[in-house]
Amino acid sequence: MLELREATVSYGKVTALHRLSLFVGQGQVVTIIGANGAGKSTTLRAISGLARLTSGEIRFQDARIDNLAADVIVSRGISHVPEGRRVFPDMTVRENLMTGAFRRRFGPEVDADLEQTLVRFPRLAERSQQLARTLSGGEQQMLAIGRALMARPALLLLDEPSMGLAPVIIDEIGSIIRSINQTGVPVVLVEQNAELALSLADYAYVLERGRLCLEGEAASLRDNELVRTAYLGV
Amino acid sequence: MLELLLQTGLNALYAAAYLSLVAVGLVLIFGVMGIINFAHGELFMLGAYVVVALYSGLQMPFVLVAAIGLVFVGCVGILMELSMFRQLRGNPLGGLVASIGFLMVLQALVAMGFGVRMEHVPPFTQDVIILSERVRLPVQRLIVIIVAVMLLVALWLFLKRTKFGWALRASAQDKEAAALQGISLRTTSLIAMFIGGALAGIAGSLTAPLISVTPTMGHSVIVAAFIVIIVGGIGSLEGAVLAAFIYAFVHTGVTTFLDGVIADIVGLALMLAVLVIRPTGFFGSADRA
Ligand SMILES: Nc1ncnc2c1ncn2[C@@H]1O[C@H](COP(=O)(O)OP(=O)(O)OP(=O)(O)O)[C@@H](O)[C@H]1O
Ligand SMILES: [Mg+2]
Repeated sequence: MLELREATVSYGKVTALHRLSLFVGQGQVVTIIGANGAGKSTTLRAISGLARLTSGEIRFQDARIDNLAADVIVSRGISHVPEGRRVFPDMTVRENLMTGAFRRRFGPEVDADLEQTLVRFPRLAERSQQLARTLSGGEQQMLAIGRALMARPALLLLDEPSMGLAPVIIDEIGSIIRSINQTGVPVVLVEQNAELALSLADYAYVLERGRLCLEGEAASLRDNELVRTAYLGV
Repeated sequence: MLELLLQTGLNALYAAAYLSLVAVGLVLIFGVMGIINFAHGELFMLGAYVVVALYSGLQMPFVLVAAIGLVFVGCVGILMELSMFRQLRGNPLGGLVASIGFLMVLQALVAMGFGVRMEHVPPFTQDVIILSERVRLPVQRLIVIIVAVMLLVALWLFLKRTKFGWALRASAQDKEAAALQGISLRTTSLIAMFIGGALAGIAGSLTAPLISVTPTMGHSVIVAAFIVIIVGGIGSLEGAVLAAFIYAFVHTGVTTFLDGVIADIVGLALMLAVLVIRPTGFFGSADRA
């Protein structure tokens, strides 16, 4: 359903992503792991239209999307939860969630989705009138994910959802990702936490300085010597 | 003395009302687009000249003319976005320079059309509410206050309760995250420019019978509005309204009890003091400024 073909992104002289080819199938969780500066965020930003390809192409549901503006790509069904959450700090939790549905027609359906999101994230329900800036890191991450779900995406991109969170919260985020995927939404999960990523994913890509260095079934990568020493720390 | 204070308070309230309309638009445009619109005083001036042309000139009913002032200047705001700011997106300095150019074009066009002189705008009502022997509120001023309050409340409801209001605030807080929700900066910029223009326009239209209307009248208004948004904290609408009140009371007070030039100096001193003591303004937070 999503395919990158030899996607290359350069910022001036720096090539952040070099001829990356990647595929996400129906209902899959695909993870991209790698160290700082490997090009993981750049990959997601290219998919969601925040970064432009210098060559290659991106296809989603059989149509090219690499020349579309970010706000149009949202309408095509891709929601991107960016690195660092990026919730709207001076808007309430509820307003943040409703903003996620911006591309939809407001009405009973969106209202029902809001209710459902608040049921799914009870911590957000308790704080629905609170400003997003006053939430904890874990709550902000949930808000960012909830906001993305309000668009009813056909594909969800998550950039380091575990960043800076306590182990308990990471587990919670992990089960949220699993439950989202069980509703049939494919997920592209970018992580430095390779253990979490490989436990959730069906398929994994390993990036190193903008290049693909390894790919395979998540289960087999967990046993891979290089991944074990470099990313799992065992 | 009490009566003089009361009268000064009423005068200040009127000044605060139209200044708020101008300043709030300036803040909205800056928040959404990152552009300091130097031509904002000239949008105010255009609103006044709509009255000169249609009310003094063609003798159309004042209410209709004020509504036209609102819509027409709002559309000039849209024109600015389409013809300049859209092309200069991501270049705030370019936007600022373009707005200075546009300001000169507007002044020149009005000077060519109407001449460089002070226009006489007849009052739309002579009624005065007499509160006591020496405290009087001309109905014209009262209407400026009422309309300003109504428009500010309407703007507040729009920003807090509606889909596009949320979109505007989202764009102002994080443009990239807003784009990821499908919010197009093109749309929110158009709305911000329309609202900003419309508010400046109606402020100019409503005050036209009360102040001296000349092609360069935008100057003093923009200076006051800049002081107000700096005192209030750039990017904060509530701060702008509050600062408009503070500024208007200080300025009107000093004008009444001392004189106008000293009032201007005190206004600037107020701004400098705020910049020194609290550079982000009363309501601004560092991450928003
Ligand atoms: N806007 C930009 N301008 C210039 N260089 C950039 C920009 N964004 C990213 N880069 C560079 O591109 C490379 C890849 O960055 P990217 O953010 O994709 O890495 P990442 O894998 O997400 O890292 P992290 O785990 O630290 O988030 C880095 O070398 C980075 O410095
Ligand atoms: Mg990253």
